Amino acid sequence: MAASDSPSAALRRRDLCSRGIRLAGKMRSDVVDLLDTYVERQGLDASASVVAVEGVPAAAVERWDEQTGTQRLLENLAAYRAFRALLAQMLEEQREQLGEADAALGRALAAVLLQVSAFAYHLEELLRLESHGPPSEEGASPPPPSHLSLFEKKLRGLGVLRELAQWAVRSARDLRQIAKPSLGSSSAPSLAESP
Amino acid sequence: DSHIQYERVGADVTMKCGSMDWDAAVTWTANGTDIDESHLNGSYLILKNVDLTQSGQYSCYEGSSWHLKYQTYLRVGTPPKEPVLMCRSNNYPKGFYCSWHLPTPTYIPNSFNISVIHGTREMVCEKDAFPKNRCHIRYLQLFSTVKYKVTLTVTNALGKNSTTLTFDEVAIVKPDPPESVVAKPVPNNPRRLEVSWQNPSSWPDPESFPLKFFLRYRPLILDQWQHVELSDGTSHTITDAYAGKEYIIQVAAKDNDIGTWSDWSVAVHATPWTEEPKHLTTEAQVTETTSASTSSFMPPPTTKICDKGAVVGS
Repeated sequence: MAASDSPSAALRRRDLCSRGIRLAGKMRSDVVDLLDTYVERQGLDASASVVAVEGVPAAAVERWDEQTGTQRLLENLAAYRAFRALLAQMLEEQREQLGEADAALGRALAAVLLQVSAFAYHLEELLRLESHGPPSEEGASPPPPSHLSLFEKKLRGLGVLRELAQWAVRSARDLRQIAKPSLGSSSAPSLAESP
Repeated sequence: DSHIQYERVGADVTMKCGSMDWDAAVTWTANGTDIDESHLNGSYLILKNVDLTQSGQYSCYEGSSWHLKYQTYLRVGTPPKEPVLMCRSNNYPKGFYCSWHLPTPTYIPNSFNISVIHGTREMVCEKDAFPKNRCHIRYLQLFSTVKYKVTLTVTNALGKNSTTLTFDEVAIVKPDPPESVVAKPVPNNPRRLEVSWQNPSSWPDPESFPLKFFLRYRPLILDQWQHVELSDGTSHTITDAYAGKEYIIQVAAKDNDIGTWSDWSVAVHATPWTEEPKHLTTEAQVTETTSASTSSFMPPPTTKICDKGAVVGS
């Protein structure tokens, strides 16, 4: 599916990309701050290693520079939709567990959730510039049921926020790749050249 | 039989003359010079509390026939101390390199072995031809939250030691300093200097991995630097320079999103534009010089406070 490549679409894409890059940068710094607060409030060890958690999209990717623009957008969108559900679940669990006792953590979680939702919408806008548009959300798998212990939930939350912080960096890089002028770009084909 | 014998500094060393009996008549030489009888116990050579200067070739000859019965090369040294290991990515996202050195020399040959583990995967660290104690690793994965674990083991004939580093992918990203820094006066502007530079040539993709920059400048006559952080572009115009004063200028770079600041670039010097002295009659010249000397040193209206969080070159 060749991307629509009229000058106005190219301009629109570049504009969406640059705004998305700024949003990703802001999201990242907020997530890093939230991580510090979360580790402290939940009594966790900042250097704790968290094995890959089921249902949490890993930012790690191989041969990143060979991805097409469409692949980048689709992977990003799938990730942020998953983070939106995971953060909503964390927020609910946090309220159940602490109620108003830790409103600050709740507010910080809610603020990041808002940014994640905004970023997902932003990605959908970029995909709409392509002929096939964003995939529908029906059938998207909800986060796994919470049969975890309290400590496991806390570790899971740590894993979610760490991956989200990495995704925010990756997203900014992806959007810069996509924003690259398609001609003469030495790196992987940008959106305009996507198959 | 001739071979190499390694001994620690301070050790006591006993050498037998090959298969000769203890009471056989022999002669020992060190690097061709006879060794005094006081060092012999029968046909054994005894060296007490050896030091580095006693490294050398030791030979034992049968008394009457001067037949060479034993020869060894004694290497006096020390076991390795814990090596110093450093890993850094100056060409992100291509890969990173690790380099190492020993805090103190051992005076004998050492061999180094490095292992790089990322999660469950062992990665290859390709030795660089130059510099010697360095190898580089290609990133197979980007944006990973899994830490890297690098272990360096150093071994020599007298012992073994090792050190381990554990780090995140983003933590070791530190670009090289900006290159081709140029500073020029701006004609007709006595308070301005135009500074330009280039991305470090080792940084592979500034478009997708943009760098931001930190510029510091001061007149040579002052110690206090002024700083300005620039998030895009590779040039800046200083607008608050002291008129007529020579300036020293340096630039540092950092990835826009991750890692730490580079070291400072090479320093460049420049002096803001000054008006050419007019050719006046003597009387006019006197009045001109008196008024000029009182006003040439005007402190700038604004001094930019640097970003407290930014520590360059750390």
